[in-house]
Amino acid sequence: MMWRIRRKKDKKKKQSALKQSKQEQDPLYTHITENENQFRQIYEDCSDVILHPFSIGGKHQALLIYIDGLSNTEEIDDSVLSPLMTATVNDGEQQVSTLIKNTVAVSDTKEVHTFSDCIQAISTGKPVILADNSQTGFSLGLSKWEKRSVESPEAEKVVRGPREGFVETLTVNTSMLRRKIRSPKLKMQSMEIGRYTKTNVMITYVDGLVDKTLVEEVLNRLNRIDIDGVLESGVIEEFIEDDPHSPFPQTLATERPDIVTSNLLDGRVAILIDGTPFSLIVPTTLYSLLQAGEDYYRRYLMATAIRWLRYLFLVISLLLPSLYVAVLTYHQEMLPTSLLISMAAAREQIPFPALVEVLMMEITFEALREAGVRLPNQVGSAVSIVGALVIGEAAVSAGIVSAPMVIVVAITGIASFTIPRYSAATAIRMLRFPMILLAGTLGLLGIMLGIIMIVVHLATLRSFGVPYLSPMAPMQFNEMKDTLVRAPWWKLNKRPRLTGESNKYRQSSGQKPSPIRGKE
Amino acid sequence: MIEKGKISGLQMAILLYPTVVATALLILPATTGQFAKQDMWLSPIWASLFGYLAVMIAYRLHHYFPQETFVQYSEKIVGKFPGKLLGFGFLFFILHTNGMVLRDYGEFVTGNFLKQTPLIVMIMSMAFVCALAVRGGLEVIARSSQIFLPVFIVLFFLIILLLIPALNPKNMFPVMDEGITRSIRGAFVPSLWFSELFLISFLLPYLHEKEKGLKWAVVTTAFIMITLVTTNLFTLLLFGDIASSFTYPVMDAARYISIADFMQHVEAIVMAIWVTGMFIKICIFYYVVVIGTAQWLRLSDYRPIVFPIGFVLVSVSMWSASNLQELTHFTRTSWTFYAGLFLIVIPIVLLLIAKVRHKFPKKQSH
Repeated sequence: MMWRIRRKKDKKKKQSALKQSKQEQDPLYTHITENENQFRQIYEDCSDVILHPFSIGGKHQALLIYIDGLSNTEEIDDSVLSPLMTATVNDGEQQVSTLIKNTVAVSDTKEVHTFSDCIQAISTGKPVILADNSQTGFSLGLSKWEKRSVESPEAEKVVRGPREGFVETLTVNTSMLRRKIRSPKLKMQSMEIGRYTKTNVMITYVDGLVDKTLVEEVLNRLNRIDIDGVLESGVIEEFIEDDPHSPFPQTLATERPDIVTSNLLDGRVAILIDGTPFSLIVPTTLYSLLQAGEDYYRRYLMATAIRWLRYLFLVISLLLPSLYVAVLTYHQEMLPTSLLISMAAAREQIPFPALVEVLMMEITFEALREAGVRLPNQVGSAVSIVGALVIGEAAVSAGIVSAPMVIVVAITGIASFTIPRYSAATAIRMLRFPMILLAGTLGLLGIMLGIIMIVVHLATLRSFGVPYLSPMAPMQFNEMKDTLVRAPWWKLNKRPRLTGESNKYRQSSGQKPSPIRGKE
Repeated sequence: MIEKGKISGLQMAILLYPTVVATALLILPATTGQFAKQDMWLSPIWASLFGYLAVMIAYRLHHYFPQETFVQYSEKIVGKFPGKLLGFGFLFFILHTNGMVLRDYGEFVTGNFLKQTPLIVMIMSMAFVCALAVRGGLEVIARSSQIFLPVFIVLFFLIILLLIPALNPKNMFPVMDEGITRSIRGAFVPSLWFSELFLISFLLPYLHEKEKGLKWAVVTTAFIMITLVTTNLFTLLLFGDIASSFTYPVMDAARYISIADFMQHVEAIVMAIWVTGMFIKICIFYYVVVIGTAQWLRLSDYRPIVFPIGFVLVSVSMWSASNLQELTHFTRTSWTFYAGLFLIVIPIVLLLIAKVRHKFPKKQSH
């Protein structure tokens, strides 16, 4: 406890030191020259910051500050500078600010009183106007910068479903959500994280569906973060997780607005972060990491079948190499005789035990995959040639690995691509290696012990208070219809119990369509 | 309360079921068949009566002390010192039994599958895995077993289904040609396995819906009974007279399975899944020892003692017998009285004293 308190004190000290050095809390000076000097000092060696002194109607000295490239210069010229410079001025201090208010034709105009207000406005691209003999400045909502246009998300493709994905600009992302949930119940609380980056972070939820304590918990955890900069949601994720050492992701990272929307409607909270298309959804469960957004747009029978396929391949991607090792090393009797003979024939030339063979190939495959992600497109084909021909074909004919082994590795590789969430897939990928070692030392029993350990770990995990294995354990029979199967939409009447408890029903019951109902 | 987690009635049932079934499934036919011969499928029915008895005692005691476990209320019933003594005896008994269960598991695996792996490796690896679960608390054990039990049950049904072609109903006859005495004799050892259900004394205080505790406990006992009757029946129909001469008849039954030349020699898979049942059983016993010890010593947290007790558990398991024969002999002879004392006799006596005290409350106002 003592240690914790001390750390908190340290933190406060650091923060205050940072602030004092910039004199951020000070109010603006009355004289424009003092203000200008102060700003020139603050923005020393910042050649992209433009301080433009001018006079309002030829009488009052004024100063315009903005950052080149963050603000709309044309708008500044047309609706700020030219009206102000040509305005007719009467005397009197009070009139300057009213004059600016009345003359500047910008809708989002706010008063600023301190240096920190000004700095904040300027760094978000809003030009600031200061006038002589006035302690009040104005920030003008004229920010404009280059942004990537909305494209279909690279990491989460769908065949059927919306094609738009989040971009790096927060306002675009929030507008996408707003377009999907057109209700004032959609709340967005913004906060800044990062001492230097001052990254805008938006906590989004639907009021009336979400558990208030969850929102508070999210805000608390975010408030605790004190770092230099937030570059990606991954940084935030590591600060707010329940179990930081777990290989399993405890937040759902997605760049699809439709997935965020459906989770918000289930009573979850989304954290949107400026500068990255990936938003975080909390709390999450293992099963939601195994569901693709498309599951809900397909016909439900297909969606159910594909869900089962995915569960099967999840097991395969975790266990197939270790099962291969275990069976070949300890339980040969399990194989049918003919298969055993052909396997033995294939392995006859191989100098390595099965364990070494599997480890070798799996590591090579992981390396290939990692290389494939980083490579520029032009050389991408080289990797596939090397991977397919050299490692697959040549290694077998050279007698270094056996052909069944290559098949095992290939199936495992495919299996790990069936997991829709990349972060969950990487967890399984990583756990495969300890499982292979366990299989090599204790056979099937080792695999079982490994599985027990993983399940115990998963049972211990919680994501923002929600058990990670729910609704399977603790069992919620009602939610099985969105876990084991994907029930038709007219059956999914209830929200998940642990997040959507405050507002249980998402639709009215008895909406099963039928021809008779149509004639009513 | 030390344990902050809460479990539901269903979760309690899911924890109790493998606690009895896991070991019984493996050696029950051998144990009962020795005495009951072809009536061995009847034995679990008689034995289950002890299960109901244990559950009833635990529930009645729980009724008097709704927030407390055996270790805590024994002090209140018979006084501080005798209560502590009883608690210690009980905990030692559970620890010892758990050691034997662990040893059983280790002997089974090294004897049948990993013949060159040292016993201590098997025992320690299992104890370690269980320690992880116990450290997580009751909720974690319950959730893990919720994941494993469906697999366990599906496996059980699959074995039975696949064995049907090999069954010979004539093996059952004559039914009760010497009356029911034979089957009752066969029920002797299993009845004590059923008495292990008394461990719900350590689960009942942590239930969400207390009123459903008894219902779920009784339902579980019935399900265990049905499972064991089925096991015995199928082993009997498959092997006939020789069923009792196998050490692990169910595993040998699994060896019979051969379908389309592809599914054969599945005993390794059977073993692997059976291990999950053993895991839950050992976890529950382990958990009871840990939480009981913490309550006995009045600790504020039970987690620091999980690994030390695990170490003791491994030692007890290694020392409890020098080989499998000795272990089996001990289980079938001395252990029965030992278990009967702690799981039936002492609880009954405690219940009677508690009842009397409850009826004539005297000088309670100290």
